[in-house]
Amino acid sequence: MSAHGLTDMSMIRNWSKTLLLTELRSGLAVTLRNMLRPKVTVRYPEEKTPQSPRFRGLHAQRRYPNGEERCIACKLCEAVCPALAITIESDMRDDGTRRTTRYDIDLFKCIYCGFCEEACPVDAIVETRIHEYHMENRGENIMTKDKLLAVGDRYEAMIAADKAADSQYR
Amino acid sequence: MNEKTTRTVALSDHAREVIDHWVAKFPEGRQRSAVIEALRVVQHDNKGYLTADLMDAVADYIDVPRIQVYEVAAFYSIFETEPCGEHHISVCTNISCHLRGSQEIVDHIEKKLGVKTGESTPDGKFFLKREEECLAACVNAPMMMIDHVYYEHLTPEKVDDILDKIE
Amino acid sequence: MSDDQVTIEVDGISLPAKKGQMVMEVTDDAGIYIPRFCYHAKLSVAANCRMCLVEVEKAPKPLPACATPVAEGMKISTKSPAAIAAQRATMEFLLINHPLDCPICDQGGECELQDLAMGYGRDISRYNEGKRVVADKDIGPLVSTDMTRCIHCTRCVRFTEEIAGFQELGTMGRGEDMKIGTYVEKAVNHELSGNIIDLCPVGALNSKPFRYRARAWEMIQQATVSPHDSFGSNMFAHVKQGRLMRVVPQPNDEINETWLSDRDRFSYDGIYSTDRVIKPLLRIDGEFRETEWSTVLEQVSDRLQQTDAAKIGFLSSPGATVEESFLLQRIARGLGTNNIDHRLQARDLGDSDNDPVQPHIGTDIVSLESADAIAVIGSDLRREVPMLAHRVRKAALAGATVSFINPPGQQYQFSHQYLATELTQLRAALGALIGAAEVATGKIAPDSVAQRVDRQSHDETHRAVAESLAQGERSHILLGHLAQRHPAFTQIRALASVLADMTGATIGFIPESANAAGASLVGVLPHRGAGGEPVATPGLNARQMLADALDAYVLFGFEPEVDTVEGAQAVETLRNANFVVVMSPWLSEQALEYADVILPIGTFAETAGTYVNLEGRWQSFSGVATPVGEARPGWKVLRVLANYLHLDAFDYNDALEVTVAAREAVPVELQDYRIGPMPSMDGADFGDDLMPAPISLYGSDSLVRRSRPLQRTPLARGVGES
Repeated sequence: MSAHGLTDMSMIRNWSKTLLLTELRSGLAVTLRNMLRPKVTVRYPEEKTPQSPRFRGLHAQRRYPNGEERCIACKLCEAVCPALAITIESDMRDDGTRRTTRYDIDLFKCIYCGFCEEACPVDAIVETRIHEYHMENRGENIMTKDKLLAVGDRYEAMIAADKAADSQYR
Repeated sequence: MNEKTTRTVALSDHAREVIDHWVAKFPEGRQRSAVIEALRVVQHDNKGYLTADLMDAVADYIDVPRIQVYEVAAFYSIFETEPCGEHHISVCTNISCHLRGSQEIVDHIEKKLGVKTGESTPDGKFFLKREEECLAACVNAPMMMIDHVYYEHLTPEKVDDILDKIE
Repeated sequence: MSDDQVTIEVDGISLPAKKGQMVMEVTDDAGIYIPRFCYHAKLSVAANCRMCLVEVEKAPKPLPACATPVAEGMKISTKSPAAIAAQRATMEFLLINHPLDCPICDQGGECELQDLAMGYGRDISRYNEGKRVVADKDIGPLVSTDMTRCIHCTRCVRFTEEIAGFQELGTMGRGEDMKIGTYVEKAVNHELSGNIIDLCPVGALNSKPFRYRARAWEMIQQATVSPHDSFGSNMFAHVKQGRLMRVVPQPNDEINETWLSDRDRFSYDGIYSTDRVIKPLLRIDGEFRETEWSTVLEQVSDRLQQTDAAKIGFLSSPGATVEESFLLQRIARGLGTNNIDHRLQARDLGDSDNDPVQPHIGTDIVSLESADAIAVIGSDLRREVPMLAHRVRKAALAGATVSFINPPGQQYQFSHQYLATELTQLRAALGALIGAAEVATGKIAPDSVAQRVDRQSHDETHRAVAESLAQGERSHILLGHLAQRHPAFTQIRALASVLADMTGATIGFIPESANAAGASLVGVLPHRGAGGEPVATPGLNARQMLADALDAYVLFGFEPEVDTVEGAQAVETLRNANFVVVMSPWLSEQALEYADVILPIGTFAETAGTYVNLEGRWQSFSGVATPVGEARPGWKVLRVLANYLHLDAFDYNDALEVTVAAREAVPVELQDYRIGPMPSMDGADFGDDLMPAPISLYGSDSLVRRSRPLQRTPLARGVGES
């Protein structure tokens, strides 16, 4: 027994490993192997990974082709939301239809579960594939009705295509 | 509330007499039972249809809520609540008459008068009722009734004859 | 077991039943649920929805539980395959024409059809034809209609016929074309019409003011009590984020059963009226300025302390809670004055010492239904207390002889005797009734009356009324608001009590507003303290206070321009006063002229409190809604004001402590009214100009006057016409 508590035999084995650079070689072998493999990373943001049509990103409110908002203030999304992120106030609009007077989604509370989208009987609230957005000031985390409708108006083509692509599985 | 003041028409003496006759047949407090007969006589007196004013007059006369009279008038197909032609033509389209060709008779009358069932001729002479239930003359099917008179064993020619005579 | 008892077996459980009962009644009592739409315990049986089909042993087909009378040994299965199949089939038929618009339907979430469709419906419809569409009807500003949703249970039709007393809704057409409606487009015009909203099992009839405002699941239900009449109807307030969204009845068979009058149901709109005061207002150099509570209360206490106590007048609404009334009278007496009153509408206060300490109807609400005879004197019953009118109607239908000694023009939808009497002739009519009672009973009226009224000019109706009162084992005489506001009230009361005495009837008073009984009990009176204790030196009563200007006034919870005997005179008097404190939730135009300080207090929804109803029942409730702006519950304002005034023993921590203190200060038992010394009968010392105005159903208090839906009803517009 040596002072280091190792047997003579294992000391010899360690020396030989060190001399022959065995560990360095096996490490370099891993590097070499992966150099030859096809790469899995993308150069975000120039390059992007493909997205599912079911991707749950930023919320939007849709309109009918005639420009009428779809939302009928049934409040099912508000009821189903597990994070209590949605706040709705409703009233009768002058033409007698049921409409929201307030529709707020708090993006800080939202957990992007997509239940609101599932609950909506008229496909009004949807989660788009937009995932690159940020806030700079307090209060910007609240998506108001106007903001939601603006998102919907801008990306309606994409939303409609996604809905169509997914419709056969629903 | 019972707005008895808004009524504008009155019942004829004849109608009152008939209604009194029918009301007397039922136990006291059951005058509601006389509504059908009351409406029949009032409709007859008013060229075959009822107006809201007439129904109000009946309701007020026999003292039942007006709505109960409206209910009866709306329920039975013998009562018309819109202005209609003077002579009511009802062609039976129930099963026996149907098997004996009542549809052909209806089509013929529609063509001849130029109206559909449920419509009146523009001159206000004829009214072709929308539907008529069995009038218990199956033995002589097809049949129709014009102003409470039965015409049986109908053919298109016979119908022409009957209608022309009324004209 | 007596003869009328049978035993039936439901789902293997044997249940006792009375002969003549329907299966549904027995199972409901036993807690066995059978689905239903058209059946309602308070309405007649129609058996037209067929949802309650159950299997009965030996019956060839399923039978409707609501219309099948029990029989000895009957074996019923509510959940057997045959029963379930029948119920499922019925549900499928009902859903054929029912639109799938639950997301925009206000009934969604509290809908009987929705619930039962979950239990008995298929998940997918087999029906592919077009659905029926029915045009909506406009039946007034209170009830919204979506008639396509109607499933023809006819509960609403039966309600108007059986409860309201006059059928206004009916079923038009037949088969698939059947519709519920009024035929001619018109508003349903009844003071209880809102109940068809609760009765409708689907979303066909809903509350119009509440339309699209909130969902059933996002509101909190809190119990409260009606603030508009002395019936004390129990209600539920539905509150969303501190705001009262709607009011529905709280079933209580001893009071309002399952009903609620429209006034109680729709008045809440006034809480959020635009003229709510949101901050205390203080007049500085002739202009009103919004001020902090502490500043304004300090001002008020300083000014009141500087004023000679005998020159301060306290006037309180008969609708103020027990707590508010109790504290107000304690402040008045703490300052050293007895100038305090709540009898704002009383013209004749001459015989106050004989007032009952607690006005009540002389019986309880439930017993009234089984009375033998009821005479209502000087009361527009349907407008004063609509729910009491309903109970009187039930009594009449059960066989009681109901008589009215009232101004002409009132309509009651049951058989009754109507002694049409102009208010000026009310004394004479009572004299004639006493004469008729002498004939009917053989008793002789006391001399004090005999010499003073003409007892001879009675006709057949007088005799019939007197006879019914004398013959009935349980007869009641009720004096209404018109009688109590009459310029010769004390004489009318004395005559009525003589009549009651001779015929063996009880005599009762219908207290004004929600809490005249409570206000009287806790001593908001110039001649009595809490519990009816007479005071040494009686103060000025309401009429005296408003006739000649005192130096300072404290007005609590009413609008003198409309709520007092002579509004214009009252405003003039107040304008001449040095200092007027108005405690009110609202700012009326007129108050701007006479008030110096306006303290915003909470409405009934924003304060905890207690009302004493017309049978002497104390009903406490807590505040349900967040006060608007900086308004504060009235009792809190008074309690803090008392602290500023350095009055002793005002350290209540919550409303309950005030309630307990008030309760301890008053006797518990009800006292019957006893005839005191006969008041003077001399001369016609009143003119027509002082006669009370006709009772206004939707003008009864500040809150009702500010409810927009109620003010749009034909009943509100028709005030004064009848």
